[in-house]
Amino acid sequence: MIFGDFMMGARSRLLPPSIPFRFFGAAVFFQIAAWGLIAVYAEELPGYLGGPGEMLAALHLVTLGVALMTAMGASFQLLPVVTKKPLHSVGACKVTYWLFLPGVLMLTHGMGHQQLWAMEGGGTLAVVGIFLFAGLVIDNLRQMSDLRVVTDHVWVAIASLLLLAVLGLTLLADFRAGFLSDHVAVAMAHAVVAAYGFMGMLALGFSFLLIPLFGLSSPPDETNGRRAAYVITAGLLLAVAGLLFDSLAGVIVGALCGLTGLGLHLWVMAKVMKSRMKRALGDSFILIRTGWLLLPVSIVLGMAAAGGIMVDRSGPLFGFVLVFGWLLSFLMGVLQRIIPFLASMHSVRPGVKPILLSVLTDPRFLRIHMIGHLTALVLVGIGIAAADGSIVRAGALAGLVGALGFAAFAGRVGWTLRAHLKTAP
Amino acid sequence: MLTIKTEIAALLHAEHMHTVEALQDLEEFLANQTARRVPDARTGEVRGILSGLIATVAAEVGRHFGFEEDHLFPMLLEKGEGGIATFLTEEHAAILPLAQGLAGRAAKAMADGGFTAESWTSFHAQGMELCEREISHIQKEEMGLLAAIAMYIDADADRNLAALYQKLMDAA
Repeated sequence: MIFGDFMMGARSRLLPPSIPFRFFGAAVFFQIAAWGLIAVYAEELPGYLGGPGEMLAALHLVTLGVALMTAMGASFQLLPVVTKKPLHSVGACKVTYWLFLPGVLMLTHGMGHQQLWAMEGGGTLAVVGIFLFAGLVIDNLRQMSDLRVVTDHVWVAIASLLLLAVLGLTLLADFRAGFLSDHVAVAMAHAVVAAYGFMGMLALGFSFLLIPLFGLSSPPDETNGRRAAYVITAGLLLAVAGLLFDSLAGVIVGALCGLTGLGLHLWVMAKVMKSRMKRALGDSFILIRTGWLLLPVSIVLGMAAAGGIMVDRSGPLFGFVLVFGWLLSFLMGVLQRIIPFLASMHSVRPGVKPILLSVLTDPRFLRIHMIGHLTALVLVGIGIAAADGSIVRAGALAGLVGALGFAAFAGRVGWTLRAHLKTAP
Repeated sequence: MLTIKTEIAALLHAEHMHTVEALQDLEEFLANQTARRVPDARTGEVRGILSGLIATVAAEVGRHFGFEEDHLFPMLLEKGEGGIATFLTEEHAAILPLAQGLAGRAAKAMADGGFTAESWTSFHAQGMELCEREISHIQKEEMGLLAAIAMYIDADADRNLAALYQKLMDAA
């Protein structure tokens, strides 16, 4: 396949299309499930401070189902381009998927229905999938001496991934055995490592590749990009240590450190955006910019929650802004650019014109998604602040409509590519 | 594309950026004009856009693609990296006739004093298609080809390729 040889040229450095697209397809499905679950159990979100139930399931549908699924698909596709080295095994990517997908389904079912056996079984499957994913990434990153600004971030992300998996399994075991002296503190550390350490660093790292590509910009400032990664990592370590050892000062200093590093990262990205040749960036960048805006907001809310300031409001707001505001907004913005771009590349055949992005993409579906998503962020945020489940439900329904719009967009891309490949010689 | 480490990559990148700018001018003009409103090809603005299409887009694209296919891709092929060359050549085959055809129509419109409703509708559709295909193609070259050059083109070959391409640009 021509596409398999593209980017860096070497055979198998990029994967067959079914590998990344299966992960992206699952992410599309889990986004619908997450908003749907919140819409049904909206009254449980205001004042939610953790523990098994539908809100924990909804949270993990986004973090594992959307964010980690997208991260796996994107990493398998992009890392070989960055490292100039093929993945060790395409089969292992498939095994990762077939461990992780049922794992997430079972784990979130168990969380929602408070069934320990399902949480333990699903969690174990998901963690095995995560370890396999981490192994493939580590194998690919070894001997890599170039593009350090990307790989530095990815190394921190992988270390965080392993730590969050261990913390997650510990939390699951504690539901049965009750051996942790402070379950909430470990859960908070798990959340911080997952959202900022793993997903955050992966998203920030790949931004150095993707944002200049989307905007046709000048190369990013790698020196300051790496400095930002180190400062954020220091902040992460301090915050996690502060949470695990009950030190508010540690959490606050870590958060301030994180804000500083993030400020530096966003300054580098602002320079990239300023140097771009592409004038019109489309709706995707509204979502990407929303994510960038809400990432520091989440840190401020996290500091408020850790400091005990209106914790019944700041706690759930922190979780919501972090997971749905930063992560989901940013990832959906990136995903709506990557999916048609990859599909267009897969459509190249001898003697046949590649499909135009405008044919693959129906902007009406993306507009529905964007409006639904942004409306959901505002309404659910207000609902949490006002402790009003009905406002949360209205917001979640808007998010659900948006997620269905995104599914229609992705489905159209897949359908059009399939039809094109069937007719191509 | 993260950093540009070779002379030839820097030249190709600069030309990409120049072509993107010209294409976006064309795209904005076509979008504002719409397929239904035939422009007055005697005005300075419209003649500037059409001349830009002929001089910049079609000429640059032709030279750029020709250089890649005749000089750069064979070197990548020698290194066993033919996949990217094949892929990009397939895209060139879709873009170049489109660019040259549009340049021909633009020249004819300027010579004849304008477009007819029918010729404008067709020109508009193909112009939009060219903008989309070529900008997307440039994104792929920026991400894949420039990285391949950094990896597989050594310093001597880089100097030779850069000198050759500079000569082609100077001759234009």
